[in-house]
Amino acid sequence: MGGVSDAIGANFVTAQLDKLVNWARKSSLWPATFGLACCAIEMMATTMPRHDLARFGMEAFRASPRQSDLMIVAGRVSQKMAPVLRHIYDQMTEPKWVISMGACASTGGIFNNYALVQGVDQIVPVDIYVPGCPPRPEMLIDGIMLLHDKISRGEYNAGRVTV
Amino acid sequence: MVERADWMPERADWMPGSEWRARAEKLEQEGWLVMDLCGLDARDLGFDHRFEAVVQLLHREKRERWTVHVVAEGDPPTVPSVTDLWPTADFMEREAYDLMGVHFEGHPNLTRIMLPEEWEGHPLRKDYGVGKVAIEFIPQPFMQIDGPGQSTSRGEAGVTVDHLGQVKVEEAGA
Amino acid sequence: MSVASDRIVEGFESTGHGAFVEDFDESAGSMTINMGPVHPATHGVLRLLLTLNGETVTACRPIIGYLHTGIEKECEDQNWRGAVTAVTRMDYLAQFFNEQVYSLAVERLLGIEIPERARYIRTMIAEADRLTSHLVWFGTQALDMGAMSGMFYGFREREMITDFFEMVTGLRMNNGYIIPGGVWEDLPEGWEEAVATILDVMPRRLDEYEDLLDENPIFLERTKGVGAISADDAVALGATGPILRATGVDWDIRRDEPYDAYADMSFEVPTESAGDVYARYRVRMAEMRESLKIVAQSADKMPAGDHRNMDPKLTPPPRSEMNRSMEAVIHHFKLMTQGYIVPAGEVYTKVEGPRGELGCYAVSNGGTSPYRLHIRDSSFVNIQSLPVMVEGGLIADLIASIASIDPVLGGIDR
Repeated sequence: MGGVSDAIGANFVTAQLDKLVNWARKSSLWPATFGLACCAIEMMATTMPRHDLARFGMEAFRASPRQSDLMIVAGRVSQKMAPVLRHIYDQMTEPKWVISMGACASTGGIFNNYALVQGVDQIVPVDIYVPGCPPRPEMLIDGIMLLHDKISRGEYNAGRVTV
Repeated sequence: MVERADWMPERADWMPGSEWRARAEKLEQEGWLVMDLCGLDARDLGFDHRFEAVVQLLHREKRERWTVHVVAEGDPPTVPSVTDLWPTADFMEREAYDLMGVHFEGHPNLTRIMLPEEWEGHPLRKDYGVGKVAIEFIPQPFMQIDGPGQSTSRGEAGVTVDHLGQVKVEEAGA
Repeated sequence: MSVASDRIVEGFESTGHGAFVEDFDESAGSMTINMGPVHPATHGVLRLLLTLNGETVTACRPIIGYLHTGIEKECEDQNWRGAVTAVTRMDYLAQFFNEQVYSLAVERLLGIEIPERARYIRTMIAEADRLTSHLVWFGTQALDMGAMSGMFYGFREREMITDFFEMVTGLRMNNGYIIPGGVWEDLPEGWEEAVATILDVMPRRLDEYEDLLDENPIFLERTKGVGAISADDAVALGATGPILRATGVDWDIRRDEPYDAYADMSFEVPTESAGDVYARYRVRMAEMRESLKIVAQSADKMPAGDHRNMDPKLTPPPRSEMNRSMEAVIHHFKLMTQGYIVPAGEVYTKVEGPRGELGCYAVSNGGTSPYRLHIRDSSFVNIQSLPVMVEGGLIADLIASIASIDPVLGGIDR
């Protein structure tokens, strides 16, 4: 931006294609409904009028994973739920990101026992970890904004898919 | 060692599984309801038996509550099911079977309810561990801690912390 | 009652349970499909195995366990004070009720009394929690019926009450505030204003909700006569709370087996007789107004005094005392490292949670951690009444019924 814009005038914006694509991707991330436990209530509260998530274009939680880009794993993942989680993640179309919301999703939380997967990163690759039990809506928004930064920098772990 | 005489602040009775079925039929006719049914592994309580099904009964008209300990007999420990008398006991008995391993004879569908079908073992038993995973703390590389309160944000040469909290060390000579 | 039981038990055998059975029987025109565990309208990770004949549900079997956290085993690994943090996360929408029933159980085993102020604080906080739980129910019920505004209204009010929780306990959810011995910290300055705001704003908002839904023809079509359950069936299946009261059975533990400060409160217990989704809706709306009354009464009558039983064997002494007294240091040390010892015994305590009877069966063998802790969760038992409500109805009615049962999977699966 600079030289060309000055010449043509203010009606044109020029940018690298990459930056445009990343800007589009981060501006309207659609989360998949994956609320599991208490963090799901705080995730719902984040979409509600006080902590409006719609300002990021993210209020459209898609029930179908095929229509979503972001999976916010909100809650504790039990051993019985783990294959289901992986199944849903696999159905999401690329590019896709995962936010692990809460202590239980990040590391197993306060429940270090037989029933829970100790951290959802054992099953799916995670981009952002949001700690808390449950994290306040502001903390989740902070995590989402960090993810937006990550997306605009173009950091995408394409290496997850082994070719 | 627990003295059974001063065990209960409220009314509780122990009965063997063989008696439970007949008593349950009478109780149901009298109007008692099952509020809760759970398993108990009494291995460390000093009783002569190990497994029990503990039933919490309620009579709404009489405003009375009663706890019945049904002693499970045999191997695997078995208790007659009361699901046909009180359908509310369906899920409760399945949970006691799943987590404690107490079998309920006559239950229409005694399968695991909380854990995956192929799980082995009964977690609430005293010989089943909690299943903790050891937590390892992996030290950050290259951070020389000289004393308490040292932080890399004071700008030691070559060490920076970026906005995501990741420590970056510049190689000497780079 | 036995006639109803026969019919219900026959239903068990006919629906089958197979783990991943999905089949399509063309000749009979029926298919068995899965709903959940990841589904926007199942209120969590509930899986339903449905046998459908077109749009009609002929059989419905709930399959649970997708959120099983092993909390009962986890509590055996914590001491009696630390188990509160695990117990509070079971039914995560009624967090104070979990703590309250557990604390009542431990206090019975210890054989102690708690100060009157603590009992009033508990009552006030618990009723405010009932309000938040019913507001989430209202939001999700409206959302599932398509009235999305209800969701926004419900959560907007809930924010006001969670602000109050944050002022008092430090957290919005999963607070760990009601502990054996009383409550963890006294009410802060300014709590009366916060409560007054809630009492001022909520009744008008409840009027707004009723304007939105009470006589809305679409809402009435979708809820009247839908998901009906008779009083006999509800009692046989062990349903408690609004489900039971909507069928006409007048039973509320707060009034009939009072605990904490409920004996000093005057409130009504609303009942309806139709037993359908609309009746449950009316019961919960009325309960919200009664909760406001109880909050007002406990705030008015709040006695002065300790917020905790200050017995040094139970409660760590104030830190200022540790400078002066060796006993205080020793008590503090023992309580922080080991925890207190609860005499051997067992007890079953119960409270009236937002979904029904929430019970706690605690066994101690004289140690510092629970020997056996079992929580009788209301949703775990209430979800058993879902098949009776929905079989023979349409899929859309199934959605309405699930919302009206208001299940919380954290409590179901623990």
